[in-house]
Amino acid sequence: MTLLLLLVVSGCTGPVRSSGVYESKAANTARKTASAVATAELAVQAATHDRTFGRTAAQTLAETARDAGDVQGIFDSIQPPDRRSDQLRSQLDDLLQPAVSTLEDLRTAARRGDVESMARIAAPLEKLAGELQDFDEAHR
Amino acid sequence: MKNLVQVALGVLTAIGGFVDIGDIVASTATGARFGLALAWVLVVGTTGIMIFAEMAGRVAAISGRPVFDLVRERLGAGMGLANLLASFFITLLTLAAEIGGVALAIELATSVNYLLWVPLVGIVVWVVVWRLPFETMDNTFGLIGLALVVFLFAIWRLHPDWAGLAHSALHPTVPQGEGHPTYWYFAIALLGSAMSPYEVFFFSSGAVEQRWTRRDLIINRTNVLIGFPLGGLLALALMCTAAIVLQPQGVDPSHLSQAALPVSLAFGKLGLALALIGIFACTFGAALETCLSCGYTVAQYFGWQWGKFVKPAQAPRFHVVVLLSILAGTLLVLTTIDPIQLTEYSIVLAAAALPLTYLPVLLVANDRDYMGDKVNSGASNLLATVYLLLLLVVSVATIPLLVVTKAGG
Amino acid sequence: MQAAGRVLDAGLKLLDRQLIDSQGMLAGKVDDLELTPSEDDPKVLYVTAILAGPGALAGRLGGRLGHLLERVSNRLRDTAEDRPARVPFGVVKRIGSAVDLWVAKEHLETDRVEQWARQTIIAKLPGAGDAPQ
Repeated sequence: MTLLLLLVVSGCTGPVRSSGVYESKAANTARKTASAVATAELAVQAATHDRTFGRTAAQTLAETARDAGDVQGIFDSIQPPDRRSDQLRSQLDDLLQPAVSTLEDLRTAARRGDVESMARIAAPLEKLAGELQDFDEAHR
Repeated sequence: MKNLVQVALGVLTAIGGFVDIGDIVASTATGARFGLALAWVLVVGTTGIMIFAEMAGRVAAISGRPVFDLVRERLGAGMGLANLLASFFITLLTLAAEIGGVALAIELATSVNYLLWVPLVGIVVWVVVWRLPFETMDNTFGLIGLALVVFLFAIWRLHPDWAGLAHSALHPTVPQGEGHPTYWYFAIALLGSAMSPYEVFFFSSGAVEQRWTRRDLIINRTNVLIGFPLGGLLALALMCTAAIVLQPQGVDPSHLSQAALPVSLAFGKLGLALALIGIFACTFGAALETCLSCGYTVAQYFGWQWGKFVKPAQAPRFHVVVLLSILAGTLLVLTTIDPIQLTEYSIVLAAAALPLTYLPVLLVANDRDYMGDKVNSGASNLLATVYLLLLLVVSVATIPLLVVTKAGG
Repeated sequence: MQAAGRVLDAGLKLLDRQLIDSQGMLAGKVDDLELTPSEDDPKVLYVTAILAGPGALAGRLGGRLGHLLERVSNRLRDTAEDRPARVPFGVVKRIGSAVDLWVAKEHLETDRVEQWARQTIIAKLPGAGDAPQ
């Protein structure tokens, strides 16, 4: 019972006391988003080289879109405790927004089986993944 | 000749049946986050289960009784009941995880939501357990599970930096960005997945189901000494492919799709199809093993008639427990708990409970009343005792690490 | 048939042992023992019956586990009988690593719940009576 409580508490959102904690949550968010973006990249690579089934690619890209959306939602629900954290938040949002919308577009294209569009839509992903990883390392 | 076929079949079934959803999740996640820095844990875990499975099989062959049956006689009714409650609960969690795993595999192939498959999976698992003879069931899913060997071939196809891989495996270090507590948490999870309690219950009860006698000791040894390490090799292959493809990209896998990506990139649609078939077969097979193990443990504690070697009407309470377990597992998955997270909890809790399962095996294998002249040798006792001490340490460390690392998050 | 008055350590050699009937089928475990004082010397106790079933086991375990077991078993019982199932010691054929009996399990009181499970649930499922392949 105590264990369950501890686990629930550790996942709670809401205002955060120190900017240090906020910073590490931001880094974590960047890391998880980078993971989703990288997965999408690999999935698109497989799809465009005809190395995967349409349905499997659709499933994979649906998952990455959902994961990125969830992670962004959780991060946005945390209130930045000070001005520095505010700046951090807008910095990260500049990366999260295009990532999430690109992944959502990929999900739609994959559902339609539109492989040509997928390659085009996925073009900015590599750079985005790099930027997200840099953010994570800088604020870990 | 017939004997040779039988031995080969046993070995192949042991290989294909070794991996379950716990191994898939643990090996893939570990490979993606730590490269091969935890490969040694797979070696330790596989060796551990080899030692104790051989003992459990020997106990069943000589005494005609599975180990759990003898737990109550050896440890007393109270200890035995505590053991039963813990073992049953963990096996039930694992059953739910396997049912979830089967549904996820189908979802990955069809893109239809896994929750819609869960009730169907539960029903089919029960029908197979009810109708199929033990050996047919065991062999079928074990052999189809061999499709996972595609992961082994994928390693070559992906042209890895062999020297780098070898170095990472032989000189384990915690990568940048990961903490030491997380490293040990993953080590424990990996160990729990390799030495899962239900595998001992199933292996030893299965030996009685198949009516092993003294003459089958050689089959027992062969299955264990050849089948299990090769099975462990498949888990290692999952870890390797994740280390080669996922780790450099910073992918932290939380879906089955990510586990299959490396094979997809290496071999295309054929490889992916084999991977999906292999994952389906081994998780389905494990679902069969865990639901039967739920029945075995309860029936063997209370002394009820159990087993598929008698008519269902002759073992009604056993079959009721199996049926209720499948129902409970299915319902648990239907609560929409993330099946991958459920798997993680099941392997970690299994790690915490390992001494409960393995101590009785060691005690019984040394008992001359049951074993006659086939008791453990001094050497195997020494080795087994060392393992038990290790498992005790693991057991004590599990919950604190779980809390400190927030379940490896 | 065991000679009357054979002495053995009931705790080690009898309790929690598997009962096996005359057909080789498993018939429960020795959950508890019924002890009757001898007529000559009340301090000498004879084992007159084996008691089996969750009621018997719960009584012996005591403590929290025993209570848990008792609550669960009380919910599952179909008879109003209070006392645990009794296997008279006369049907015991041999005491080895398991306890072999002279009779088939259908003749024992311990088979009540098994028969209930068979009739209520298992018999309703197709294939319950099919021989194992």
